Formats: sequence, C-alpha cells, structure tokens
Amino acid sequence: MLVSVDVKNMDGMLLLPKGCELTDRHINILQAWGISEIVVESGAGPEGSVDPLAKLTPEELVALTSELKSLFWQPDESNPGYQAVFQAILKRRVLRGARR
Amino acid sequence: MKSLNFPPLEQLISSISASLGSYAPVIEEIKAVLSSPQCSLSSVGMAIEKDPDLTARLLKLANSAFYGFGTRLSTVTEAVSLIGIQQVQDLILSSSIIDKFAGMPPESIDMASFWRHSLACGTCARILATERRLPNADKFFVAGLLHDVGRLVLYQQAPAASKLVFQRYQADRMPLQDAEQRMLGFDNSDIARALLQRWNYPDFLVQAVGAHHRMGHLSHLPVEAAVVHFSDYLVTAMQIGCSGDRLVPPLKSRTWEVLGMTNEKLETLMDAIDEQMQSVEEVFINN
Repeated sequence: MLVSVDVKNMDGMLLLPKGCELTDRHINILQAWGISEIVVESGAGPEGSVDPLAKLTPEELVALTSELKSLFWQPDESNPGYQAVFQAILKRRVLRGARR
Repeated sequence: MKSLNFPPLEQLISSISASLGSYAPVIEEIKAVLSSPQCSLSSVGMAIEKDPDLTARLLKLANSAFYGFGTRLSTVTEAVSLIGIQQVQDLILSSSIIDKFAGMPPESIDMASFWRHSLACGTCARILATERRLPNADKFFVAGLLHDVGRLVLYQQAPAASKLVFQRYQADRMPLQDAEQRMLGFDNSDIARALLQRWNYPDFLVQAVGAHHRMGHLSHLPVEAAVVHFSDYLVTAMQIGCSGDRLVPPLKSRTWEVLGMTNEKLETLMDAIDEQMQSVEEVFINN
C-alpha cells in the first residue's frame, strides 16, 4: 500500500512522503502523532500501472476529447496550464467510468 | 456598448447593506475582546459560543478534512487555539456572506450550485496558497469564496438587467464576464471590488477578487490574483457547481508558470479538493 499524499504533522513537518510503502512501523508512528487517517493507493498491480486512457478505443478517445473540449471557451493548446488540466480531467472521466 | 437603461455600478453597490447581518454582533464582540488587555483564547471562545450556529459550524470545520487535525476537538477554545483567531474571523466572514445572499429567487440562479462552485474555488485557492507557502493561506479561501459575489449583487439588485446580460451571453456565445462588460460597462469582478471596499475588507482580498478576470491587463501578474484565477479555472473544468457561466474561462498565459505548477502537483491538488469539499459543503451549505 503506497502513501499517495505527503503526510505532515500540524507544524507542517513531513512525516511520510508521497509514494513510500506503508508499513506497520509507519502506522505506529502516525498513531503516536495522533494522525488517524491518511490517503493511500493500492499496490501497483497490472491495473494500477496502466494509463487509463489506454483503456479507450481510438474512436472513444476522440469522442471524449471532443466532448471535453466543448467545455472550454478557448481550448488553447499552446498554454501548458490548459494542456495539463485538460489531460487531468480526461483521465478522471475515464477513471470514473464515464466511457461512452 | 453600454446601454443607458442599465444601472450604474455605484447604484448597485449603494443598495447593499453595509452591515454583515446576523453575525455582526459576534464580530463586534470578538473585536472588543481582542482589544481588551484581559484578552485570552478562552475569552474569544466564550464570545463565539454565544452564537450556537457559529459554534456548531466552527467545530464541524475544525474536525473535518479541511484542517485534518489528528485529534478530535470538542470545545471552541481548542478550535480557536489550533486554527487561529484570524482564521476564525475569516470563517465568520464567509458564513455571514453566504447567509447575506440566502433567499435569492430560484429562477434567477441555482444558489446551491453557485456556492458549491465558490466553495470549491476557495478550497482550491487555500490549498494552492498553502503549497506555495503564501502568508495567510486561509485568506485565500475567502478570496475564492467571494470571487463571483459580484454576480449575486447583479442578480439581486438588477434582475432585469442580469437577464438581458444572460441572453446576450447565450446568443453571442461569449464568456459571461465579457457579456457583462459589453452591456453594463463593467463586469462582476468590478462589482465585487466595489462591494468589498464598501464592507471595508482588506486590500489583499479586494485586489485578488477584483483582478481575477482582468490579469491580462496587468504587466505584472500578482501571485494572489493568479491563485484565484487558476482556482476558478480548475474547479470549472472539474465541473464542481456553477456560478453562471458553465464553460471554462480562458486561462491567462503565464498563470501555470507563476504558480510553479506541475502535472504531479495538479493531480494532488485535484484529489485534495475532492477530499475536502464534502466537509466544506456540510459546514457552509448543509449546516
């Protein structure tokens, strides 16, 4: 089980970095700091390591890309912010089962 | 071109009460306590506890993923000591503004959706500010929350004019703030700036909210305005609520660089917004 978000104490001190494998010892340390919840992801199995967009057929990808682009007033391909946000919402739609 | 039949900005703002409504007595009492030589955390806590609704909201927020404290807080004094007095005042401010615009006619705007969008923008702005180590990160929550409040003033004070603006937005397919600018001669960020000045809000908030649509006109992109602008952009793209314009506004070209964003940071940011939104909505909308 991997830690998916940096774990910090109330003073902002890093206790566990994102990406580290969670062990029983880590859990004891977190409990000592009074931290009851952290965000984890399951171990990188075949599903976890696959790009979610690879699950789509080329036609599905084109259709979903077109649908999501229509949400933007100016889909500016030269803007790195637009590119990153667009890719992120595209992946989220696929991961959340919005395939059409 | 601006029509002579539309209300001027000054008229819209002068119709809004200068008082912060039902929370005004608590705000005044906290100010009095803070100016007293005998001021202590427990005296601030006692001032807040006189308002049961505010007490419930504060404890719910303090025990939520928004702050993520490991221990359960059961008293207002504990919450004030961990969150901070200024942050508690910001919470009161946020609650008072949401209450101030309650009871808008449902045919003019879906208020739940409006506040959902605004709260998501505030949540995103606060996380971004924390990540960037900007001072007073909680203030960015208020800035994000208020970024479109000018639109509510327009709906409330000039419903006929706002309907015409919306018709222009739909007919000409342009961003809503552009339709506002063309028909009124000002947009919702100008209204918000004037409103916050009338309410004597800090300059930081006035600038961050007032510039979030206008950064293209500035030679230097202030990071505060970039935080609010990008937060609005991102949560609209994530389709969390709607403040009037369902489409994602244009992103100013230097925003990504000014904020030092990366794909990995963006992913973490979006997950954190999802995680915190449920508790934020419970405190500010469903309480």
